[in-house]
Amino acid sequence: MPFIYFSFVVLAVSVVTIPFVNPKLKSIAAVIAVISNAAASLIPAWNALGGLPTEILLQGSPITGLIAIRIDSLSAWFILIINFTSITGVLFGSGYMKSYADRKSNLSLHWILFITFHASMLWVCVLQNSLIFLTAWEVMSISSMLLVIFEHQNTNTLKAGINYLVQMHISVAFLTIGFIWIYFSTSSFDFKAVQEYFLHNPSIWLFILFFIGFAVKSGFVPLHTWLPEAHPAAPSHVSGVMSGVIVKLGIYGILRMVFYLAHDQLLLGEIILSLSIATGLYGILNAAMRFDIKKMPAYSTVENIGIVGIGIGMGLIGSGIENSVLIIFGYGGALLHSLNHSLFKSMLFYSSGSVYQQTHTRDMEKLGGLIHKMPHTAVFYLIAILTAVGLPPFNAFVSEFILYSGFLEGIKSVDTTAVFLMISGIAGLALIGGIAVLTFTKAFGVIFLGSPRSEHTEHAHEVSFVMRLPQYLIIAVIVFIGIFPQFFYDKAISVLISSTATKDFVDFSVADSVIETITMVGRFSMIFIIVSAVLIFIRFKLVKQKPSSIAETWGCGYTAANTRMQYTGKSFSKTLGKLLNFLLKEEKKYIEIRADELHPSKRTHDSVYLDFAESRFVNPAVKRLNHFLNYFQFIQNGKTQQYVLYGIFFIVLIFLGTIFNLF
Amino acid sequence: MISFLLIFISSLFFMGILIRTKSLASGRKGPGIMQPMRDIIRLLRKGAVYSRTTSYIFQIAPTVYFASVLAALLVVPFGSRSGFISFNGDFVFFAYVLAMGKFFSIIGALDTGSSFEGMGASREALFSMFAEPAFFILMGSFSLLTGFTSFHDIFSSLHLASHFAPGAELTRETYLSYVLAVLATFVLVMIAMTENSRMPVDDPNTHLELTMIHEVMILDNSGFDLGLILYTTSLKFAMYGALIANFFLDGMALPFGIMLFFVVQFLFAVSAGLIESFMARFRMGHNPQFIFILSSVSLLIFFAVLLLTGKFV
Repeated sequence: MPFIYFSFVVLAVSVVTIPFVNPKLKSIAAVIAVISNAAASLIPAWNALGGLPTEILLQGSPITGLIAIRIDSLSAWFILIINFTSITGVLFGSGYMKSYADRKSNLSLHWILFITFHASMLWVCVLQNSLIFLTAWEVMSISSMLLVIFEHQNTNTLKAGINYLVQMHISVAFLTIGFIWIYFSTSSFDFKAVQEYFLHNPSIWLFILFFIGFAVKSGFVPLHTWLPEAHPAAPSHVSGVMSGVIVKLGIYGILRMVFYLAHDQLLLGEIILSLSIATGLYGILNAAMRFDIKKMPAYSTVENIGIVGIGIGMGLIGSGIENSVLIIFGYGGALLHSLNHSLFKSMLFYSSGSVYQQTHTRDMEKLGGLIHKMPHTAVFYLIAILTAVGLPPFNAFVSEFILYSGFLEGIKSVDTTAVFLMISGIAGLALIGGIAVLTFTKAFGVIFLGSPRSEHTEHAHEVSFVMRLPQYLIIAVIVFIGIFPQFFYDKAISVLISSTATKDFVDFSVADSVIETITMVGRFSMIFIIVSAVLIFIRFKLVKQKPSSIAETWGCGYTAANTRMQYTGKSFSKTLGKLLNFLLKEEKKYIEIRADELHPSKRTHDSVYLDFAESRFVNPAVKRLNHFLNYFQFIQNGKTQQYVLYGIFFIVLIFLGTIFNLF
Repeated sequence: MISFLLIFISSLFFMGILIRTKSLASGRKGPGIMQPMRDIIRLLRKGAVYSRTTSYIFQIAPTVYFASVLAALLVVPFGSRSGFISFNGDFVFFAYVLAMGKFFSIIGALDTGSSFEGMGASREALFSMFAEPAFFILMGSFSLLTGFTSFHDIFSSLHLASHFAPGAELTRETYLSYVLAVLATFVLVMIAMTENSRMPVDDPNTHLELTMIHEVMILDNSGFDLGLILYTTSLKFAMYGALIANFFLDGMALPFGIMLFFVVQFLFAVSAGLIESFMARFRMGHNPQFIFILSSVSLLIFFAVLLLTGKFV
């Protein structure tokens, strides 16, 4: 496997060179390293997508056994997603980190970690020996956690990083239990053993273990609480890559396990589908009530994971009731939406990062009117949010369209539960789309339109070309997928063909008519673009001939309107929050004026929306756990001697165990 | 193709009939049928005033809004004759491309930086959000009933009109499908009223900005843009009218079909006018509940379809 070795070499070279080159070259070195890793992994991935999977068995240690490295089409699909987003990320980052040029040693570490992060994600996709897989998984989690805490002098950032680290280890714990379960039943670490096990032992619980493990990474509700903490804390290119890709590796893991499943698929599909609909709605509702330019997209990531999960659930139901069309729509939609989401979400984070870099605030309510100062970034942001809502002619519309088509097929199925889930899926997706319109019009309107709400925007100007370049690239891909989705969907189906090879009932002949429909969608999107462009052209031609003048915004008769009277983000979405106040809890912090306070002093009013799952389920549980674990505090008392004693105890225990043949 | 033409023709008269109905109902003579169109043409010729705060978003928003409705029109069929283009799941495209237009009209309003327009934009976003599930459940039910997923296939296999044919048997299914059609018409009329910001959700004639929704969003638009927005509203109305007409149009001979089409459009306009004459606008806080009821009615249709297809006993 040349590319794995190659990535090690690249990593080693970058570790020795990056700390010693001058700050300007550090980022260039990182760009070169990431691109060369990407290029090396692209070749086997491309072959795998074309139907030539690679399989290599490395001679591992006695503990691990043979280390299987397989690049099949599923890994290849995710490798392509990882590579594209990481390249745009490192390009954007090389511009973004210029403002931190004075922190040389931090920068070196940052870029080395970024290369490690990228390489480890690639490893995760190809390693199929569970021990080594978990190691790569750990490297990925830890390197991304260290990337998150780049601004570690800020306590909140550090807290977010530790929160992320802890949650990632909960995920690893579940995965480890799952793999140990497999190991004890089959005495093999190879992923093939997982498949064998699932084939012969109908076990929902094992799948649920794996699902929870991977779901923490991808952010299914209520396991999503790390996302809205870690994404805002991280530098923007890191949050872009994390949100675009790292959560997709959770999806990769789930899909991997889902394709191994052979029993109880209907039940599990129904569970995943309901959970995903809830995740989608929950994510977008919370996104609607967040006014932090990076927290909002983080919640939107939760929503999109819900949409991907809807596809997975649909595909599982399809396998359960042996309906090939549902499999094609469900899994195909999930795969395509993973790709689409990685594109527009990374762009959304990059453009939010540009805004943050220029204005030094993440609070929407302090921004406004940036479209005049950052016209390019405004276009990037606009296209990213139009895609995030899933509007034509952009790419996310295609994947949502596929899911709708799947639902319309699914309501014809015989299983009553499935029928009800399908119709609620249709309603859920429609509602998600509707709330997304509210969420993102709010974001765009408040950040980029209207007049500036504070002095933060005064010195803002357009970001450098190197930060814009990756976003142009992403737009090109987004529009290309939007207009010619058939090429990508075709590839997604070829992933399915090889991944569902064990299920002999699947009939891929229906795929042709599906691809035909998708082609029509693309063509239609193109017509829409042309119609709009022509009309806009005509409109400007016509308007030019007529007299026009410029005046103040009409204040409905009030002449002293000022910028503070504008609608804010909060007021824009307040009605929704009030309607759903059982789910979107608002916490207000203020001190009432007392009756005897004749000269009220200056006071502040603060309002935040709480995350329902976090404040109701996660936090109380953590509190209980903390209380309980307090009793064991004596173990960790900071005395080195005692720690050495523990080590000796442990060795003695192992020794005795070996003597009495306990293990 | 033919549906496109017919919708265009009915859009010219729609607002006129609606306004005339309202004036007759209130005992006035009212303006001529063509007056709203004359106003629009006059506006299209006029120059414009732009706010200092606005950007190009404000200028392209009305055009994109108009283009989105045009694109949506392409999939609307005429009975068994398909629209410009027809494919499986085209009603998803229909709904999403309309949402695209809505998106732009909302950010166009936010571009002015006015508190009033922000308020209208917020309400518009909220109310159209609640209307989305109703439309999708409705279309999902009909796709389950007919087994097809495109507007054209669904409408041409409903066969509601053919029961009028001499010698046709009236079965339980027939009655049920009429009930469905009536309920669906109700949902579509109400969605059309919501989407076009008419009563009982929005009052286009109110004089207080605080109680407006759509009107307050376009406060700053003038000249060509305002004319375009007003025309788009008529076009949207006619489009929903065409959807309703399609329920009853299948397989009819063209002359009868065209006649029935215009009758349905006329009745739609008159009933919209009557609703506006005899109902007051809901309290703003009650609007979401009302719009959400539409989803329940759609669900009712879905259950009826489940009964009809024998999936649910």
